[in-house]
Amino acid sequence: MAQQATILNVQRFTLHDGPGIRTEFFLKGCPLRCDWCGNPESFTRQPEVGVFANRCISSELCDDCKLVCHDLQMLIFTDSKLDSIDRKQCSSCLECAQVCPSEAIRPWGHSMTVDECMKVIIQDRGFYERSGGGVTVSGGEPLLQSDFVGQLFKACKQQGIHTCLESSLYANWNKIESLLPVTDLFISDLKLMDSQRHKQYTGVDNHKILENLITLSATNKPLILRIPVIPNINDDEDNIKASADFILQQMQGKVRTLQLLSFMRLGEEKYQSLGLPYKMQDLKFDRAAFQKKVEKIAVYFNQRGIHCMIGAKEKAEL
Amino acid sequence: MDNFSLDAEHLQVQGTQHHTLAKGLDDFDKVYGLGYEVGHEDWSPYPRVNYLRQTFLDRPYDIDVERLRLVTQSYQANEACPRIIQCARAFENILLNSTLHIYDQDLILGEIAAPAKASPIYPEFSVDWILDEIRNSPFEERSNDQFYIRNAQDRNEILALCEYWKGKSANEIITAHLDEDQKKGSHMGEKVFQTNNYHFAGIGHFAMDFTKLMTLGYDGVLQQAREAFAKLSKQDPDYSEKRDYYKATLISLEAAKTYIQRYATLAREMAKVESNIKRQHELQQMAQNCEQIAGGAAQSFWQALQLFNFAVTLTQIEGNGHSISYGRMDQWLFPFYEKDLEQNAVDKSFTLELLEVLYVKMNNPTKLKDKGTVKVRNGRGFGGESLTIGGVNSLGDDATNDLSMLMLEASVHTRMMNPWVCLRLHENTPYELKVKAIECVRAGYGHPKSFNDGPAIKAMISKGLSLEEARNYAVVGCVEPTLPGKEFGWLDAGYVNTAKMLEMVINGGRILAGPNAGKQLGPDTGSLESYKNFDEVLESVDKQFAYWCDQLCSCLNVTDKIHRQVKPTPYISAFFEGCIESGKDMTYGGVKYNGTAPQAAGIATCADSLSSIKELVFEQKKYSGKELLDAVKDNWQGHEKLYALVNSSKIPHYGNDNDEADQLFNFMFECYCRHIKGRRNARGGEFSPGVYTVNANVGMGLYTNASLDGRKNEEPISDNMGPVHTAGGSHDISGPTAIVNSVTKVDHSLATNGTLLNLRFPEDAVSGIEGRDILLSFVDEYIAKQGMHVQFNIMSSEKMRAAQKAPEKYADMLVRVAGYSAYFVELGKPLQDDLIHRTELRF
Ligand code: SF4
Ligand code: SF4
Repeated sequence: MAQQATILNVQRFTLHDGPGIRTEFFLKGCPLRCDWCGNPESFTRQPEVGVFANRCISSELCDDCKLVCHDLQMLIFTDSKLDSIDRKQCSSCLECAQVCPSEAIRPWGHSMTVDECMKVIIQDRGFYERSGGGVTVSGGEPLLQSDFVGQLFKACKQQGIHTCLESSLYANWNKIESLLPVTDLFISDLKLMDSQRHKQYTGVDNHKILENLITLSATNKPLILRIPVIPNINDDEDNIKASADFILQQMQGKVRTLQLLSFMRLGEEKYQSLGLPYKMQDLKFDRAAFQKKVEKIAVYFNQRGIHCMIGAKEKAEL
Repeated sequence: MDNFSLDAEHLQVQGTQHHTLAKGLDDFDKVYGLGYEVGHEDWSPYPRVNYLRQTFLDRPYDIDVERLRLVTQSYQANEACPRIIQCARAFENILLNSTLHIYDQDLILGEIAAPAKASPIYPEFSVDWILDEIRNSPFEERSNDQFYIRNAQDRNEILALCEYWKGKSANEIITAHLDEDQKKGSHMGEKVFQTNNYHFAGIGHFAMDFTKLMTLGYDGVLQQAREAFAKLSKQDPDYSEKRDYYKATLISLEAAKTYIQRYATLAREMAKVESNIKRQHELQQMAQNCEQIAGGAAQSFWQALQLFNFAVTLTQIEGNGHSISYGRMDQWLFPFYEKDLEQNAVDKSFTLELLEVLYVKMNNPTKLKDKGTVKVRNGRGFGGESLTIGGVNSLGDDATNDLSMLMLEASVHTRMMNPWVCLRLHENTPYELKVKAIECVRAGYGHPKSFNDGPAIKAMISKGLSLEEARNYAVVGCVEPTLPGKEFGWLDAGYVNTAKMLEMVINGGRILAGPNAGKQLGPDTGSLESYKNFDEVLESVDKQFAYWCDQLCSCLNVTDKIHRQVKPTPYISAFFEGCIESGKDMTYGGVKYNGTAPQAAGIATCADSLSSIKELVFEQKKYSGKELLDAVKDNWQGHEKLYALVNSSKIPHYGNDNDEADQLFNFMFECYCRHIKGRRNARGGEFSPGVYTVNANVGMGLYTNASLDGRKNEEPISDNMGPVHTAGGSHDISGPTAIVNSVTKVDHSLATNGTLLNLRFPEDAVSGIEGRDILLSFVDEYIAKQGMHVQFNIMSSEKMRAAQKAPEKYADMLVRVAGYSAYFVELGKPLQDDLIHRTELRF
């Protein structure tokens, strides 16, 4: 049977996850629950429905979703506009998303085969070649569907297309190892050095991740490392210093670029629509002062001999 | 802007790798700085240029009465003359008697028989709108494109002089020669096509043979005309017409010489009383330049630029047409630059300063247009002054030289509407030139546009040109490839609203809605209530297009013949191969190659409308044809579900690299081109199709009923080659690579008069060295995929909204509209909104 994956989204012409012009696949499902995550729709592995309330044209003009749902109570309307879906009751059959004419309800996640993905990939091949780009698989956590990623990357390599995996590396090493021959570039995160706090803010502890980073760096695979800099969570001196120590000592400095991604308040409405609490709700911080701090952190890393940049753009080797 | 830090080291490496093909004298600059570091008022490193630019911006848009007065006097004095002599005498009267101006710090002389930035009046073409607007809707009170009559005395004089022209102008004679059947679909009727351009104004739209003028000078051209005249035989059945043509040519060229001599005299006089020694010297040098080129060939770079400016402004004085383009300027100017450098007559820096002074100068000519025209096409300049650089030479080798580079630099140092710099790209374009062009693009003022030699040369050959000739094409106006000095293409001949044609397709040839709803306009080729399958719909499209293209082309041929009758242009004709040789004015078909080129608008609107029909009626069978028809008849009111659906991604839409939708676009594109191409025109040439709207899609939308792509009544139709954007949503949702793939599924060379693609990126997307490389590779791929033209607007929606709120702060913010850049705050509100709504390609 053809390998399939649950894919949240395919984005063509992305420029921020790897060098050059890329096509990026966001795989659905993630074992981590980072408080600051901007894509909560990628948490669960199963497809579900996404609600874009302001697109609903009103239940006075349209009742297509209600006609297909087995339970009228499931779709919650306020002032005749769809407001949300009762997630506890919803069976995620996606029927309502199929029929909604205005795309107020859309499927989050659909399955795609390797061949289907390759069809999309090939369309932009010339752009990758000229810009030093290629394909990136991201998530969610793509290693949850590592067999599929392996197949997809193998197909890419057969076509001579550059491959990049963006992963938390929270997985057993053998999964990563199996992808080494077909992956040209890894992108991973160094979220928090303190294991306990890591668990507190992401739901899992960081042992496995750090071990994998060390093992990966020993293979000399090109690796871009990122720190999502979150105010009051990981922007303290201790954590920054520990991160630098780890990169230099444990990973022997084998990082192509260290990218600092400043926190942005993103995805709040998506949490709402999923009926999940947004943990960064109460975070208050001064954007300008924070930005200065991030700049200082970048200087610090560079002073310690780690090539560090703010932002996710990566220069292509042409 | 500080994102644009330039990594000089990296550039060096790239540069040496690719740099081999340049033909310049110096190595290419390795400094790519393009003025990011200098302050806002100071784009140019030359204080003189910044000063001239500012004085231009500060000057008012006046209306000047002098040309009107001189032309009228002359016509009255020569009423019994053959028309071509009457025209030449009027031209002469202007050149001998108009007031001359030399402006402070300027280095290049010559205006269009009006002070800088003031618009003259051209009564030969049309006056009724001038009379009407002065009396009923003053130019001063327009919401955009205002012009100012200086005082009551001028106002009264204009009114009085215009009265003489009633019944005599080209416009009225054309109208009288069109019958009701021709008018019903034109701008005088339901606006299925709009041929206003040449109905009300001169033709223009060419690039003359500058090399001929530069090397022969006016005396040489006169000599050529005298010799041809001497050979004219009285046995020739057209003897008298040809004799009059030659006489008119001699009058016009002699007048041009006298005019230039008058400037020399004025400059000498001013030099005498000038106290500043440096300026005195400049005035003397300008006088000397004029004395040389009044009859002789240009002998230096400066003189070449001076002669060029006279040649172009005289064209505008005679003809009134817009898009008087500058040809392959880096090519025809290069010998002068080379000679000057060899003789150490100038250095590179002064060359650049002169170019920049000229660039600012190119903005001076303005043209008063009627309110209907400015609604469709904003802008107070003539417009369309394209300057082509780069490309291959007649052997097919890269033609880039130092001037190609300097011309880009001058552009980014001046950042004005003119000139419309156009870069010809091909597979061997040097990396350095591309980088410099991309840096200009990233600066966000809208220049240059990129043209692709591959499909453009193919298109030229299919018009009947030889390969060597085709390789010498230059871009005229927005996107029209033309052979300088050998082709009178009658480009931009009319806008064809294909969305209106589709209205006839779905509704039995009848008008869909509005006051004339139900009126039979075109033939009944079926309706949504009658079609049994989708093929029948496509057949009907074909039949309607055949009918409307007949209507359009017959109107254009009438207009063409009237221009010949009432306004031949002997001065301009002298610079086109074939006219002097044959004794025929260009309006009589004297030029070697002749075309008539109307352009299609709204192709994507049609394609997505067809997609709705195909998908909903014939494939999913969810809706009946009648339901769809009713929805657009009702302007979607009461059909909200369907409205949402056709605007959603559930219907395949053009611009997403979806083969099904793209095929429909291809069908429409090909259908239009097929019906236009190859028809014979009134000057012995052929019709030639273009697919672009410039910004007319906004104005045309105002007259277009709701359409099945999900467009409501009065919304803009789709722009150029671009996808559909309606208030219900942008139909392209797959990013710029998908757009490029969709756009290049059609054979652009079928549109022999050009295609146009606008793409908008936000500033941050193309920032940094990574952004530059991305944009570069993006353009390279578009070119490799055989797209003909692409241009970028690097401008965020936020910035445009801010400019709408505080126009005074953004007075000189240029945005790329389509084919050209315009001052954003001077655009009409609907066009501003359309620009904001064009999908910003964020990633
Ligand atoms: S996904 Fe299925 S169960 Fe859930 S709301 Fe939609 S139709 Fe009802
Ligand atoms: S189907 Fe969509 S548009 Fe219709 S009522 Fe439901 S959510 Fe609203």
